[in-house]
Amino acid sequence: MMDATKTIINYTHRQAGHCESGATSNLFKFNGLELSEPMAFGIGNGLYFSYIPFLKIQFAPMISFRNLPNTVFKRSTAYLGIESTVVKKIKDPREAMQMLDRNLEKGIPTGCQVGVFQLTFFPPEYRMHYNMHNLVVFGKEGNMYHVSDTVMEFPQLITYEDLLRVRYAKGAFAPQGKMYWINHAIDKPVDLKPAIVLGIKKTVYEMIGIPFPLIGVKGLRWMARDLKKWPRKHGDDKAAFYLGQILRMAEDFGTGGAGFRYIYGAFLKEAGEMFGNHMELLEASDMMGKTANKWRDFTYMGARNCKNRSKPEEDYGTLSEKLLDIAVSEEKVYQKLKKIKF
Amino acid sequence: MEENLNPVYKDKAYGQHRELSYSYGDGGTFEKTVGFHGEADRLILQQAWDLFHERIEEARQRVLAGKASPVVYFMEKNLLDPMNLSMMAGISLWRVKWHFKPGVFKRLNDKTLQKYAEAFNITVDQLRKIES
Repeated sequence: MMDATKTIINYTHRQAGHCESGATSNLFKFNGLELSEPMAFGIGNGLYFSYIPFLKIQFAPMISFRNLPNTVFKRSTAYLGIESTVVKKIKDPREAMQMLDRNLEKGIPTGCQVGVFQLTFFPPEYRMHYNMHNLVVFGKEGNMYHVSDTVMEFPQLITYEDLLRVRYAKGAFAPQGKMYWINHAIDKPVDLKPAIVLGIKKTVYEMIGIPFPLIGVKGLRWMARDLKKWPRKHGDDKAAFYLGQILRMAEDFGTGGAGFRYIYGAFLKEAGEMFGNHMELLEASDMMGKTANKWRDFTYMGARNCKNRSKPEEDYGTLSEKLLDIAVSEEKVYQKLKKIKF
Repeated sequence: MEENLNPVYKDKAYGQHRELSYSYGDGGTFEKTVGFHGEADRLILQQAWDLFHERIEEARQRVLAGKASPVVYFMEKNLLDPMNLSMMAGISLWRVKWHFKPGVFKRLNDKTLQKYAEAFNITVDQLRKIES
């Protein structure tokens, strides 16, 4: 498969806090719409929470701080009224790679959903079976592809075989070669305001409106209550590992807990400024920032607890209370957002 | 190059990754900073990796003692559980668990071994014997 073709698209790589909103924001920037990462995150409903205790991922209950893969890209393009293409599933891996090559020749940087575990350049401590990662391929040089992974500081190189393998990683939420791109350059000015309103409404619905106890703020409460029981139910070692898993999901993989709240707060602040210093939005942003600081404290407390393991019952009790407190203050933010009349 | 390394993990392969994180200050502004992950992150990652290494080592000992098949060792090494392994190799969960017995593993045909080897991203020869 060695050929001497060399196509590199002039694509700006910017590091971001979250893989998909970063990729989306960079793709918009390439097509001529300056959209910051928090904006993409907020409009595309990056914020989400679900706790599924009966499904185990890497020996611990499944906790998800993010929406289903590709939601951010799909919703932000839909709400902004920008034409985009999402190819959900390609059966033949070689065909998928050829499609990617054709896109590159046309000069379209293409986003791909990949699995993290076999991604060669990824930091080794983050290697995990996590199939909802996103990167943007923007160039090909012989057998090597230039990819922009927003988790990394700089653009990276990956071989044909490795890229094929990660695009067809197996397991839960397998990528199956999913790819997405924006069809053509955005030449007319885009009005962000209606998209922001839609984005906020959808996020509020997903966090407090869904009538199912494991999703959104309700899920957070459920997890807080479960957390208290873990040491008695599973023993100290396993409880510490479960707690570690929550914190790992919360802070490391595309940030999650505190990180997402900071990004969402930044989105609300930016939106507030766009609506002419909208008081309520700015207040909500401030509340969100404070909630995020609480999340950060929770992580520190949890990490110390993991290390020392002194008086486990008492520590888990306080952690659980802390999490319930977080749930209360988060709910206040969403209630406030729900009442805003634009 | 030296000063780019993380002072806490000076000679390790991991922990050398600088990430972007947001924070909220007292002045009501959200700030972006790029840096190595902090103490909390390090503790959490360390705890998880200690446990994974423990499990891998335990599995290796069991395989060397003839109590389990190499499939168990490679499963732990790839941080998989039987459920995920069955998804990745395309072999039913029941059969995967059956193949954990060393006696059964010895009688496996090449086709099944090839499926496991592909899932673990190694060759069949490497699958047959593990490093001691």
